[in-house]
Amino acid sequence: MMTDDRYQLELGVLSRKLSPNLYRFFDLDTDEPYVVFGARTNRGNVYTLRIELDDFPESIPKVFVTRMLKDKRGHDLDSCSATMHTLTSENGRTRICHFGFDSWHPEVSIYKVFIKSRLWLEMYEQHLRTGKDIDYYLNHQD
Amino acid sequence: MIVYLNKEELMTLPDTGVADGVACEWEGEEVVHLHARPPRHAYGKVSPCRFIRGGTGELPPAGFCVRYEREGDGVKATAFLDGKELPLNFIPSRSELFSRSKGILEVGALAQKRVMIVGLGSFGGQIAVELAKAGVGAFALLDFDRMELHNLSRHICSVQDLGRLKTDAVADAILGKNPYAEVERFPVDINREPVLLDRETARADLVICATDNNTSRFNLTNALLRRAKPCLYGRAVTRAEGGDVFRYRPGGPCYNCLIGNGWFESRDEEITDEASARRSGRIAAYVSPEDASAMVQVGLSADIEPICNLMVKLALVELSRGLDTGLAQLEDELVYDYYMWANRRERRHANWAPFPNAAAKPTILRWYGARIARNDGCAVCGGHAELDTGDEIESRLGDMGDTSGINLDEVAGQGG
Ligand SMILES: [Zn+2]
Repeated sequence: MMTDDRYQLELGVLSRKLSPNLYRFFDLDTDEPYVVFGARTNRGNVYTLRIELDDFPESIPKVFVTRMLKDKRGHDLDSCSATMHTLTSENGRTRICHFGFDSWHPEVSIYKVFIKSRLWLEMYEQHLRTGKDIDYYLNHQD
Repeated sequence: MIVYLNKEELMTLPDTGVADGVACEWEGEEVVHLHARPPRHAYGKVSPCRFIRGGTGELPPAGFCVRYEREGDGVKATAFLDGKELPLNFIPSRSELFSRSKGILEVGALAQKRVMIVGLGSFGGQIAVELAKAGVGAFALLDFDRMELHNLSRHICSVQDLGRLKTDAVADAILGKNPYAEVERFPVDINREPVLLDRETARADLVICATDNNTSRFNLTNALLRRAKPCLYGRAVTRAEGGDVFRYRPGGPCYNCLIGNGWFESRDEEITDEASARRSGRIAAYVSPEDASAMVQVGLSADIEPICNLMVKLALVELSRGLDTGLAQLEDELVYDYYMWANRRERRHANWAPFPNAAAKPTILRWYGARIARNDGCAVCGGHAELDTGDEIESRLGDMGDTSGINLDEVAGQGG
């Protein structure tokens, strides 16, 4: 569970890095807090990312694109895939695998989770153009 | 109801079609073991026994009977079977039980101590029983798992414990060594029970962290810092080719400080249980069952024993700190925060020296200690926490593009 001190630290980083219209926290006083980010890729497409914070920072937060994305062949990105770096979707939202288990530690900021996810979106759009798996671009998550 | 059956017993039954066996139930635990023949383990047969106070009551002609009388602070007793007197022995009293370790341990003081054990696998179970043997008086046991086949070979519990909650099975093992211990059982996932975790940490004199995942280690670490309690963290690395122990003492470096340190490698931690590793994410969800079973590599019981053993000694030193005991001199010797052990010269220990002629180089079957510096910027215990903001990824992304037009109120309509 995120302490208030930690929340203030996260806000400090976010306000330094991003314009305030790009992120908003929800349900902070509940068991299931989350934060939503807006992201525009280099090609100009806009996505929203939902980062669930119920066990943050003790464990890796779940990250979703707030809709179901499709791969180049038109299939839903709704299941675990090592090559596409996705996990099983929930509530119709594509879930991104953004962090390897062994490299997680509580110092990782929400901002870092966000930009790793932002990088994934960039690779996803490359995939749509070239048909190459996301793994080809990311090589491996670190 | 959880039911276990031995298939090999079925193969040995006569071909007459019908046979009478037994159903052995752990009372109140909803766990039953079905056997074609009564298994040979403790308390196989239960008969009535009458207790008669005073010397005058008439003895029953058949069955067991005890005649007893209070005498001052004590009690005098005689046992009979079918009216004939039996030679009688006594289960040791609290003070007799540990009288033999007097001089080394302060038995009376240990009886007042409470140890909380998080994770009751091959490490936690073993350490619990050893501390019970030393006379520790109270335990809080936390684990939501049940005894299964895959954890049987290295575990202190036995085949008749299959299906039982580890908290129940280990509690019985503790009480088998110290029937006077107070054992409280919490079959819960500590990551879901922060209030309970905090309360039990506050009640403990020492915490043993023997879980197999970092999320619970981090959650526990937070509680330890809040409650200023010492803790021993232990684990084995791949196939128990070695292992390590980390000691947290209030004010010293925390588990997160250790992780940032060059000594510690969380990557090759031993995976003993696929289900648990999948839950925690150590085995990624997309790993096939075949690949996963190759990742589950369990070392020998004899290889984890030395690691448990050091944890027990460190625990006794911690619990006896400040007392005049035979362990006092160890306080001046077990001064390190982090201890390393290798069983075999493999993988991360491959370039250690062979056991003969190792001279000053590290070799197998010896403990090595290291002091860990407290990290001022530690996000968990540091005064001026610095978060990892992923600068290297930022540089890969280049600039963030024009985000000024993004309005979360609009885009959140996509299901956010
Ligand atoms: Zn720390």
